[in-house]
Amino acid sequence: MHTATEYLVLFYIFFWVVRIRGCVRRGRQPLLRGPEWFFNVHVQPDFYTGAGKKILYRYWMRMLIPFVLDIAITVAIFTPSYLDYAPWLLIAQAVLIHINHVYSVDKAEREARPIAVPETEQPVDSMALSLTPRRLRDYANPKVEWALALANIVALALLFRYYFADPQHQNWRVVFAVPAFYLYLQVGMLFVKSVVLAWRTPVPQTQATEHMEAREETRKYYLKMCDWYRAFVAAGIVFWSIVIRISPAEFNRVSRIWLAAWLVITVVGTFLVEIKRKQLVTVALRARPVRMPDFLHESDIARWPVCYQPSAPMLILKGAHGYSLNLANTLAHLGAAYLAGLVVLFALLRMGR
Amino acid sequence: MFLTINTNDPRPIYQQVADGIKELIARGKLPQGAPLPPVRQLAADLGVNLNTIAIAYRELQKDGLIVIKHGSGSVVASSTTTERSPDDLRRPLRTALTELVLAGLSSTKILSMVIRELRTVGRGNK
Repeated sequence: MHTATEYLVLFYIFFWVVRIRGCVRRGRQPLLRGPEWFFNVHVQPDFYTGAGKKILYRYWMRMLIPFVLDIAITVAIFTPSYLDYAPWLLIAQAVLIHINHVYSVDKAEREARPIAVPETEQPVDSMALSLTPRRLRDYANPKVEWALALANIVALALLFRYYFADPQHQNWRVVFAVPAFYLYLQVGMLFVKSVVLAWRTPVPQTQATEHMEAREETRKYYLKMCDWYRAFVAAGIVFWSIVIRISPAEFNRVSRIWLAAWLVITVVGTFLVEIKRKQLVTVALRARPVRMPDFLHESDIARWPVCYQPSAPMLILKGAHGYSLNLANTLAHLGAAYLAGLVVLFALLRMGR
Repeated sequence: MFLTINTNDPRPIYQQVADGIKELIARGKLPQGAPLPPVRQLAADLGVNLNTIAIAYRELQKDGLIVIKHGSGSVVASSTTTERSPDDLRRPLRTALTELVLAGLSSTKILSMVIRELRTVGRGNK
């Protein structure tokens, strides 16, 4: 078996273990606040023996949807000509798991609301607004930013030097395809950070500190994850600038070490993420969920799954049929531009291959 | 540091935002040079139109309390409003006192209420 396939199978097995843990965690999520709650909906005492039983069952069943992609992944791993597609399918599955989870939670909550305790379904009168600015620079660590910038610059300088030492014998696509893609991924991570910061945080006046703390901790967690991904991708560029100049025999040996290191980092990282998730849940449980006032009448104006609402400054609106992407938001435009840029980059890198 | 918005308050939201920020400046919780969140952030958090917050910020700017720097955000400029005539300052006080008199409160009660509020705002201690 090829080295890459071996590692991919190992990674895939580990991914399965992590997903089983994730499924258990998501399965328990509706009951985290106790039997009187279904996610963030305060339900009647007989909810789980009555109508709620079916809602909970349907939520659990929806959790299994992403497993459909496993058929395609297994085929890709064990069919040599499709092996290149396997990592992309794994990424697609990770994204699908998250989107499916957000959608399933929202759908389950909407199904439970008509049979919730009526008093708790009334929106609160008072809201607290944080006056602390949330800008990228407020959440950036200058040392980390400098380290990432230096790693990228040094690696690119090495690659340019390598290419221009003998431009006739080097294919620029081979030399620069990987760093170009990795740099673009880093830009994407910065975009994701902007989205995380722009994510609205309305909190009620009662328990404002607890709500704000829970949201701030979650925000910091996601921002840190973005920075870790940026660091991994920057490490990838540095690695590429080193391996491109070594012999094929050496390349195999170094690649093996690199993939093994990745696997170890992934395992350790997963454990750390699980610990952090538990801490986040503890903080979140301190804040009692409430319904916030709907000043813009989002539920009436937002159509599922996309809408165009220039009057609403939010990227995501909560409509009557679920979340709706606001195409009038600047971040939606930037996201679309980023995806278009990614397609163009792929086309450029594959052209004349 | 929080700003409170109440749906039962008869004042429009932009007024509540402007008054809330003014109060925090008066109490010294927002000192000179303190950055304020961008209009987009406050509007999204509250779930209101961008103009609602922009109007509140413009009012604060008109009073000389904040400076809006395009591209770099808004900052608290001063803890006192720009020069206003005694008549201008007296007008809202008279309106508030009229409300209290019409509500049937005695002069002593009104006076103690004013002193208490003044202490809350922070300047009463000085």
